[in-house]
Amino acid sequence: MIQSIVKRDGRVVLYDESKIARAVLKALEAAEEGDAAEAARVTNKASKQLELMFKDESPTIEQIQDVVERSLMETGHDEAAKKYILYRANRTRIREARTSLMKAIDEIVNVDARESNMKRDNANIDGNGSMGAMLQMGASTAKAYNSMYLLTPEQAEAYSQGDIHIHDFDFYALTETCCQIDLIKLFHGGFSTGHGFLREPQSIASYAALAAIAIQANQNDQHGGQGIPNFDYALAEGVAKSFARTYTRKLREALEDYFDTDDESELTEKAIAEAGKPGLGDVRETFDGIVADELAKSGRIDREKAGHLVSRSRQRAEKQVDRDTYQAMEGFIHNLNTMHSRAGAQTPFSSINYGTDTSPEGRMVMWNTMKALDAGLGHGETAIFPIHIFKVKEGVNYNPGDPNYDLFKYSMEVSARRLFPNYVFEDAPFNLQYYKPGHPETEVATMGCRTRVMGNVYDPEQEIAYGRGNLSFTSINLPRLAILAKGDEKAFYESLDKMMDLVARQLMDRYHIQAAKHVYNYPFLMGQGVWLDSDKLGPNDEVGEVLKHGSLSIGFIGLAETLVSLYGHHHGEGKEYWDKGYAIIKHMRDFADKRAAETHMNYGILATPAEGLSGRFTRMDQKRFGTIPGVTDREYYTNSFHIPVWYPIKAYDKIQLEAPFHALCNAGHITYVELDGDTANNTEAFESVIRCMHDAGVGYGSVNHPVDRDPVCGYVGVIGDVCPRCGRRNGEPISPEKLAELRKKYPSVPKFCGCQ
Amino acid sequence: MAAVQRQSVLGKDVGFERIRRITGYLVGTMDKWNDAKKAEERDRVKHM
Repeated sequence: MIQSIVKRDGRVVLYDESKIARAVLKALEAAEEGDAAEAARVTNKASKQLELMFKDESPTIEQIQDVVERSLMETGHDEAAKKYILYRANRTRIREARTSLMKAIDEIVNVDARESNMKRDNANIDGNGSMGAMLQMGASTAKAYNSMYLLTPEQAEAYSQGDIHIHDFDFYALTETCCQIDLIKLFHGGFSTGHGFLREPQSIASYAALAAIAIQANQNDQHGGQGIPNFDYALAEGVAKSFARTYTRKLREALEDYFDTDDESELTEKAIAEAGKPGLGDVRETFDGIVADELAKSGRIDREKAGHLVSRSRQRAEKQVDRDTYQAMEGFIHNLNTMHSRAGAQTPFSSINYGTDTSPEGRMVMWNTMKALDAGLGHGETAIFPIHIFKVKEGVNYNPGDPNYDLFKYSMEVSARRLFPNYVFEDAPFNLQYYKPGHPETEVATMGCRTRVMGNVYDPEQEIAYGRGNLSFTSINLPRLAILAKGDEKAFYESLDKMMDLVARQLMDRYHIQAAKHVYNYPFLMGQGVWLDSDKLGPNDEVGEVLKHGSLSIGFIGLAETLVSLYGHHHGEGKEYWDKGYAIIKHMRDFADKRAAETHMNYGILATPAEGLSGRFTRMDQKRFGTIPGVTDREYYTNSFHIPVWYPIKAYDKIQLEAPFHALCNAGHITYVELDGDTANNTEAFESVIRCMHDAGVGYGSVNHPVDRDPVCGYVGVIGDVCPRCGRRNGEPISPEKLAELRKKYPSVPKFCGCQ
Repeated sequence: MAAVQRQSVLGKDVGFERIRRITGYLVGTMDKWNDAKKAEERDRVKHM
């Protein structure tokens, strides 16, 4: 007689046959195959079987469930058996998820991030600090929940097996990736971040402060980055307001000095009003002439003297506003590198785009932004955020004679020292098609990571950058598809089609979850009208319709390894392999276009940025398939369509080979060139790389070179084993006296508390 | 007796900062990179 059973946690409890009966009844009812009487019959059979098998011993839960399954089948209840099996498998999945969740939290709490690859999933988060750890715990729990309840079994399987990677999976139930914030629209009339109203800013300083606040506020509503597509245009308004006030103030003060009085505001304002609003772009003789005429009319000052005062005031105002703008940009950059958003764990992922505003105010913004970028942070450190993107456009800044050519030249000097700005090319045909002169919202901007949202299948009247971003992205493990195809091209494409279909449907499922949210779930992004058309919604409205402006991106990784697996060589090794690679991505793009046309949703192909992902797929494939030379023999897969980083190739050739893929990857793309420090600081060499990108039809490009810094002596440049300035090695100490000596020659050597 | 201890040396255990670009953004120190990206950075060659 069976008296007891052994539970999964090892506890021994009384055997209760009615529990089996209940489970059987549930299965029968679910399959509509029987009732309580039938359940009793099946239970009886199972019990008899158990007695036969175990006699006086204690079966485990698993053993009992095996017998129940068999009993259902042997009594002809196939459907009920299926239901029972599925239920059992689901319970197992949930149990395992709970265990792995607890294990993950254990690792988060107890393991130093330096030892834990999981804790270094995102280089921007300090996994060792308490806020970072809490963020990771929350993320782990969310992932477990989302996996259990929000994915179909097919999707959960593909994700956990490493066929696909669902990015930002922890945020699956909550929000979207990113947004390009139109600051001009946001600032007009002021805005709120949830705690009090911020009036429309009236000076360049407040414009810069509020820009940082806007980025932080929006970062609290989304899981990805925040971009400003019109940084120059927007902050130019701040410069204009500052200049008007400063001109007025300088003139008033000059008059007060001249007359030796306390308050000449009435005279000043009346005189200026005759001319209009002072601006940096005024025709001076005309504007200042009118002001001087008016002052002379008062009879208190002669015309010549008045003219002189007005002219001096303008000069001083120009200098002052320039200084103010510099300070504002410096403060902005410092803010974006130090404030922590997202549970106090990381700074917002911010990007700013500029380059095409030719107004004097816009140019002043850009000069000072780049100067501040060049200067670095408090001890000369390279600012990591925001990412700066310079928008290159023929006729505006690309060629000598273009109004902003000087800014383009300067940008390259700065980029050679500070790795920013990166370059977006408005003249690439796939970008140029949207461009309307005089309409900055039609200038392709990018999130620093490379996300690009411009075309709009859902609303072709609004093919603009402002107020739009990515909804979510999921990447396909291309090399695995190749490995499984075993060199059979046809089989590869068939499996690729299946996988793209799975991903496209998963992206849509995720969109439906996002769509059911309300404006009140996004107090800033929607509540303040940042997302396109969200200003037409009320606080309780669902956001599904306006979200359709966003992009759904099918990503990929490892084209190079895919080609090696299928054809023996990657696309840097010969035209025939390049053609094969191009064909694959073209095929993907055709699929996305077709699905977009069918659904009127903005499906696109993304050259996935891939941080944690770069190792995840490779590790799993190594485990499953072993080491395959050229495919799984490294710790990572090559990013998107890039030529492998280790492959020796000339910059020019790399650019030629990668550029055509930019056109295909409409959801985002980038090409990098690696230069050594010397080449990077050779302005001609640097410019030739950028021009080569432009000519090849690159959409977004960037130059990498080593930028090292010794925090002790402040040296910024290339450091091998020994610092060229102070001679110390990594981790080696140096005497304060030696530092003091160095400081005489290099004033930027930092001072440290407690010494001298 | 000096109220403040003077430091006899500076910079012990202070490493060099190596700013590198990772998937589009800069990270000031490679301590925080995951193993795969570290491996990739090691493999990077220069393009002439």
